[in-house]
Formats: sequence, C-alpha cells, structure tokens
Amino acid sequence: MDFLAPLMLVGAVGVAIPIAIHLIGRRRARVVRFAALDFLFGSKRKVARRFRLRELLLLLTRALACLAIPLALAKPYTSCATSGPMVERGPQAAVLVIDNSFASRYQVGDRSLLDRSREQAYGVLSQLGPEADVAVLTSSERAEAPSELSRDHLRLRDAIADITPTARPAGTTGALRKAAQLLATSNHEHKVIYLFSPLAATGLRADDPPWPAGTGPRLVVVPPAPDASLDNLAVTDVSVEPDPTAGSRGVRITAEVADFGKSGVDEHGISVSIEGRVVAKGMVSLLPGERIKKRFLATLPEGHRSADVVVSLDHDPLPTDDQHYLRAELRDVVQVLLVNGQPNTDRHESEIFYLEAALRPGDRGDAGTVVTTVTVDELAKQNLGHYDVVILANARALSASTVAELGGWVDAGGGLMITVGDNVDPDAYNRTMAPILPQLLNTALDTAYGAHGAERTGRAQRLVKFEADHPIFSVFSKDAPGLREATFEKIMLLGPTSKVDDRAVLARYTNGAAALVEARRGNGRLLLYTSTIDRDWNDLPIHPGFLPLVQQAVRHLARKQTQLARASVLVGRTAVLPVAPDDQRIEVRGPDGERRVIEGEQLAGRKRVRFAGTDRPGFYRVAATDRAGKTRPREEAEFAVNLDARGSDLRPAPPSLVPTSGTGTGGPGGGEHRRRVELWHALAAGLLILLLLESILVLR
Amino acid sequence: MSFVDPATIARLESLPVKARVIVEGALTGLHRSRHHGSSVEFAEHKEYSPGDEIRHIDWKAYGKLDRYYVKQFEQESQLTAYLVLDASGSMAYRGDGLSKLEYASYVIASLAYLLIKQRDRVGLSIYGDRTFEGFVPPRARPRHLHDLLAVIDDVAGRGAGGDEPASVALERVAELARRRRSLIVLASDLLEPEDGALVTLRRLRAQGHDVAAFHTLDPHELDFPFEGMTVFEALEDERKMLVNPSSVRRQYKKRMSAFLERARGGCMGAGVEYHLVRTDQPLEQTLLQFLISRAAGAAGPRTWTS
Repeated sequence: MDFLAPLMLVGAVGVAIPIAIHLIGRRRARVVRFAALDFLFGSKRKVARRFRLRELLLLLTRALACLAIPLALAKPYTSCATSGPMVERGPQAAVLVIDNSFASRYQVGDRSLLDRSREQAYGVLSQLGPEADVAVLTSSERAEAPSELSRDHLRLRDAIADITPTARPAGTTGALRKAAQLLATSNHEHKVIYLFSPLAATGLRADDPPWPAGTGPRLVVVPPAPDASLDNLAVTDVSVEPDPTAGSRGVRITAEVADFGKSGVDEHGISVSIEGRVVAKGMVSLLPGERIKKRFLATLPEGHRSADVVVSLDHDPLPTDDQHYLRAELRDVVQVLLVNGQPNTDRHESEIFYLEAALRPGDRGDAGTVVTTVTVDELAKQNLGHYDVVILANARALSASTVAELGGWVDAGGGLMITVGDNVDPDAYNRTMAPILPQLLNTALDTAYGAHGAERTGRAQRLVKFEADHPIFSVFSKDAPGLREATFEKIMLLGPTSKVDDRAVLARYTNGAAALVEARRGNGRLLLYTSTIDRDWNDLPIHPGFLPLVQQAVRHLARKQTQLARASVLVGRTAVLPVAPDDQRIEVRGPDGERRVIEGEQLAGRKRVRFAGTDRPGFYRVAATDRAGKTRPREEAEFAVNLDARGSDLRPAPPSLVPTSGTGTGGPGGGEHRRRVELWHALAAGLLILLLLESILVLR
Repeated sequence: MSFVDPATIARLESLPVKARVIVEGALTGLHRSRHHGSSVEFAEHKEYSPGDEIRHIDWKAYGKLDRYYVKQFEQESQLTAYLVLDASGSMAYRGDGLSKLEYASYVIASLAYLLIKQRDRVGLSIYGDRTFEGFVPPRARPRHLHDLLAVIDDVAGRGAGGDEPASVALERVAELARRRRSLIVLASDLLEPEDGALVTLRRLRAQGHDVAAFHTLDPHELDFPFEGMTVFEALEDERKMLVNPSSVRRQYKKRMSAFLERARGGCMGAGVEYHLVRTDQPLEQTLLQFLISRAAGAAGPRTWTS
C-alpha cells in the first residue's frame, strides 16, 4: 500500500484524542458508592460485562474513526494484476466504442459478447476517473453518435447499460471515425479510443481508414472474449427456383451456408420451413472457412400466390444469423401461342403434341402457362400483343407481312422460338424469314440411313455442350443425363454467320453443330432449335430433360422471372413498395409486430414508395387502404429482410487492417498488467460505518 | 401537620431522646388526625358480659356511667414484637441526608420506645455484618428499652457493612416466635439477590405472624439524579463501573420501578404490611403512617407510600 498524500498521515496522531478523553474522563469521574448497582447494570453481572464491552467498543470506534480520517485524506492505494485494458487515470478525453452489431449476440459461456463488452466498459469508465471527458459510441453500421464528451459518469453508465444489439453488421471504421471527430473537439492532450469489439475484419475498410495512418488518437482494442475462438456458421443466401419435375408448384430451394471459423462443422442440421411448416431437413458438413450450397426440393402450398420460406440452421453460438427469410411467389402465367406446322387429327402425330404436354404437365390449370394453338394460316389473324411467347413448330415459311409483324412484336419484347422439321424449307426460310432467324439455315443432316439399327444409333447426334450458366440450362445438373441421352437422327445445319454480338449458341450436337441458338432483337429474344419438337427427328421428347428444357425456354423467352423469390432486403436498407393509384394508406407490419404507416403526402402521385424501417430480419407484411376505406393485404408487396452476411464473419482482422495511432501506443489492450486500486473510497465508507456505530453505541 | 426534619432529629443528643421525640411527634399528629386509637394496641372499653374477668372491670367508668365496662387491652395478652434492622452494606448509602441505616435505626428505635412504653415484649435482630451479634431477646421491662437502644446506637455508630441476607435474622425470629403469634417489623432496603428478604417475609406471614416492612430507600436511589461521568462502586462487593448517568437513567428507573412494584405486590399479596419510606421523609410521619395503618384495623394488608 502506498499514499498519494502521505503528509496527511500526520493526522493519525489524532487517534490519541479519544483515548486521552476516555482516560481523563475516567480519572475525573465522581466516585459514588451506590447500593442499587444491580439496577444500574441489570440484575446479572454479564450485563455489567456487556457495559464494559460497550465502553471499550465505543473507545475503539472513536479511535478508529480518528485514524480513518487522516488515512483517507492521505489517499492510500495499492496495485493488483489485471487482465483488462491498460487505463490511465486522470484528465483526458476518451471515447468508448462498443460493438453492438448483431454479432455482439454471440454467446461465449453464458454471456453474450455485448454483455462482456458492457462489463469491460464499466471497468474502464471507473478507472478513467471523474476528471476524464468521456463519450460512449456504438459501432454497428449507421449507428448514431453523441455530439459531445461528458463527465457525467452516471449518464455514461446509463448509456452503456442502454446499448442493445442491433441487426446490422459491424461498422467499426465509421464508428472510429466518429470517435476521432469527437476527440478532435477536446482540448485534452491525452486522447484515447477504447474499442470493445472482436474487431472482425468485415467491420474495417482497408480502402477508407478512419484516419490517415499514424495520425489518429491512441486506440486500445478490448476484445470481449480474448481467449475464445468465435467460430460461426450462417445461412448467407437463399434462392428459390421452379422445379417443373416436382409439379407446377415444385420449387428448388438453394441455401448457401458459410463457415466462419477454424474448426468446420460436421453433420450440422439444416431445415426449410414454408409458411411456418418444416418441409425439409438435412445435414451440412463444412470445412473451416468453406461455403457450400445445399439444395432442397419442396412444393409451395396451394391457395397462396406467395409463401414465406425460412431456411434455418441448428443453433450455434450466434443464432441470429442461422435463419434466412425469403418470399417465394408463384410464377406469372405465360401466354404461349403454338403455331402447329404439322397438325394431325391424331393428337399423338401432331407436331406440338409433346410441346403442349410439356407446357401443361398433367393438364393442370395452374401450370403457369396458357397455351393457344393455331395453324400457320391462322397466325395472321392473331393479336400477337396478347401473347408472351410464340413458337413456330415445323411451320412453313411465313409471308413477309407476317414476318414483319412478328419482327415488330419481338422488337417490342416478345419471345419467338422456331423449331424445324420436314415443313421447313431452308431456302424459303432464308428468303422470307431471315429477319426473325437467329442464324440462316443451311441444310438438314440426316444420319438415319442404313438398315442396321445399331449403325443408325451410332451415327445419331447427341446434345453434348450446354451453356450451363444460361437460365435455360441452369436447372440441369452438371451431366444433364435427361438431355445427353437423347439421340438426334436428323438435324438442321445452319449457315455461316458473322453476327456474334447478339447471338449465342446455347447447345451443340456431338458433331459441333448448333442445337439451340439465341439472338436478341430489340427488346425481345429469338430462339432457334435445329431439330423437331416432336419425335420425328429425335427422341428428346421422351427423355426427362425435355419438360424442363421447354419450360425454361418458354420462361426465358417470356422474360417472366424464373427465380421465384423476390429479392430480399438487407437490414437497414430501403425496400421499394409499389403504390396503386387508389392507395390512400399503406401499412407495413414488421416481424416484431410494429406497424408503420405511409400515407398522405408520402403517397400522393407516386408509383413507388421507399420504406426504410427495415431494422429487423424477418417478414414484413403490407396492407393498403383504398379511397373507399377498404383495407386489403398486398401480398405482392410483402418482402423479407435479412441480415447482412458480412456481419457473420467474426474472424479477426489482420494487424495491417487495424488503424494505427499517432501516439504509437495503440493495439490490443487485453494483456496482463498491474492496475492501481485506490482505497480511500473504502476508508471513507468505513468511516461512515464507524460514525454510525458510535451513534448507536452512545444511544444505547 | 408539621414534622421535624430527619436531619434535625439526627442532631439530637442520644437515641433515647431521638426516639422519644419521634414518638411524641407521631402521637401528637395522631391525636390531631381523624383516627382515634392507640398505636400497637388499641385500648377500648367493652361492655361487660358474663364470662369476662371481673378484675378487668373499669370501676371509674362504672362510677361515671353506672355501667360495667371492661378494658379490652387488659383483656388481651401481652404483645411480642421483633424488630429487625438491616445493617448490611447497602444500607450505608447516604444521599443528601441520613443514611438508610440511620433512618431505619431511628424508625426501629422509635418503635421500640413506643412498644416498651406499652409494656409489650420487644426483641431486636440486626443483620448484615456476620461478625456482629445483634440479637436482643424480647423483654417488656422498662429497662429493656435501654438495652435495645444501646444495641441500635452501637450499630448505627459502627455503620453498615457485610452482605448477610435478611433471611438469617428473620429465620431466627421465626424460630423464636414459633409458639406465639408475634409482630415482626423489618426495616430494610430489600436489596438482596433474588428478592430473598421478600420471600422470607411472605413465609413469616404465612406462619401467622403480623408482619410489617419499612422499605427504606434513599431519594437518590429512587430518582437517580446523578450527572456527569461517575464511577459507581458497589457497597457490598468489589464491583465498580464508569458510567455516564444520563445514558443509563431511563433503564435504571425502569428497573427500580419494577423492583418497587415487585416488592409492593409481593407484600400485598402475602398480607405483609408494606411501607415505602424515603430517607428524606420526616420520621414522625413514617411512624404516624404506621400507627394509622395499625389503627385502621385488621382489614387486610396495607401499604403506605410517602
């Protein structure tokens, strides 16, 4: 123990005062020989002993009180080993930056990182002492900052206590910049920032440091759990795509799961819920730092045009990012006009038999497509504006006027698919239909000659190359056996072309000839399939790949979304809500039940309105009230909000990313060191207790 | 009615004189009071009835009234009284006036004077100092008064001391008086462990004796008027304690009140005549109250407080 003001110890001689008073008082006391002594002390001698004890206690209390006063004034202190940050007491400007990003919910033991940071901040605040000007900041992205430093430690403690985790990722760089700006307003020479954060690399921006290197205030990083490895597993993305093989409502849900740790995980549970019901479960195993995609097949429930999809991981120390929310919508209906180039009274012999069956699997009404079939002659009478896609199936060459009409329709955004066959005369096509052909036709290649079946099969072409990333083929697995196993006995070879800008070969046969060619025209698309759409030239229609191929091709041409999920919004970002002309009031209800209303001037004359209250992950419901006062839910406007996956990565930043301070004393502050502990507070408290005890003893 | 201050009486020359002054003062007060009667024995005339002793007929009354009356006192047998004086150490306490022992000895001397004058047999027992033989057997001769007062005077001169309990003296009295109902008068501060004196008094009363107690206390003991740091030393042992009296006054008076209530209640409950006397109270008044209470008849136990 040592003293800051040792001269004050001279006052310790004051301890003699009560003793002297006691002794002198005893000597000067009148002596009375008294008979009723028993009544003075009670009838028992032990009472007299108790009285003597009380007198002694009183003397001791007074002596100690006299000793405590100079001791407290001498400001005694001691030192002890501590593992917290090194804190210098005294006049200074300090900013406590506390990470309250969603990662601060990470549980280490039975406490979250934020709880630990809060406790550390209390410790630092008390060690800074009353002469320090202090501010408390949070470091989640877009957090608000106080405007000035304060010495009101009670308020500062309240500010620390009031910090709650947000759903935003860490924005450490921004918080440090604000802290440095606050410190710049102070006249203190000694300026320091205490950063209570795991200091994840994702919270720091190497390209935009908070201050120029070597110029900032002293930075002390206080990791909330210095010895813990903050391994974390998170669902970082989810997409939903149609899966025609599972029916018209079949979907394929792809969840991206990332491991942000050093250990990896083995057989970790993952599940998919649709409309609150778990529809699929699985396991994922990841190597350290690995990111994988897990696919699930499911069916959207009937009776809804949209559905809530939640992908959940079994809980880990940070449960917040173990869910990902998505709104999946049923596809819009695609109007398809089939131009049957080879109609037949026998349906099975008709050119479009397989095509129609693929577009309307099971003849179900909710297939997502409305198919209209016409002959070539009837095409001219059709109002093309009513259709999204037109398929010319083995149709003979069209008249120039029809081609012009079709060309204009494609320019306006229509999608035209041309399949060849025996009715297709390459010369006639090249002559009249060149404007709507992705590539001119050459001649048909027939491999079906010879009597021996095995020979014919050997010569037959197969689909071997696909643009796997193209939306049409993205639904197929890598090998796409449903396509590769089909044999093509006759194909249409295409002529040479130099137009490569807006043209792409999406698939090729074994011999390298183009099987599917796509070209852009205006706002529309053209697709040329160099074989028949029925079984005349190939057996693709009876292979499993035919149906998804046709479905995807039609969707692609119609430019209707093949991704069934509406893009979700990140926490804190704005969502754009469509506004109908009749809307007088739009109410958005968040996942926590909080309602926010957009009305009046905010809606007047707008077709869209921005909604910024996306501060929690989950589903946001939208309801609109029209002029008649009728309120209806607006499913098509509902949206999901998800965490920014960057915040899930708690791996520490490399030292090169940590801002360097101008004082050269920055860096982590978690090492063991000795800390001064002042004892005068305890002595003052003891003095108060002694005075209280003395009062009690005197009054008894 | 005016009485002589106890301190004035104390200044008188000898105990017989003091006793006489006290008794005469008391009897003067008695004549002026509305009570008529004697002190220890009430002399009255009773109309003669067959069976009464003829020799007890008051012929003077017959001469005046032409009726036969017999004197009642002459009819009663001679009273035996035992006067018990507490001379233990606690009786030595002296406040502003007489010590408790002095006061009590004057009371006892006065009673001895009165009783001897009435030709009653009076014995004396003094306890407290185990080394002092303070017992005088009961006698009725006039010269016996001299013996009694001499012993009392001797004790008062020696001063109080010792811690012999009252029970020793009272038990001796009880043994002597077992064959005959007697008047037993105790003058004491009753400050004994476990209230031993009270217990013995109640037992004597239960044996049929007429028992009276002068509970003698100094005003300081009752009011505890001390101020300033004081060392209180016990009178009967070596205990001593430094005390700020104001801090213990309330508790002391509470205990003293409880003790007085216990003494009064214990005496009343057993039929013992109880007189609480302060040493600043005139001695004649004390004696007068006693005589009046005796005159009030045998209507049960009585208590007097000053």
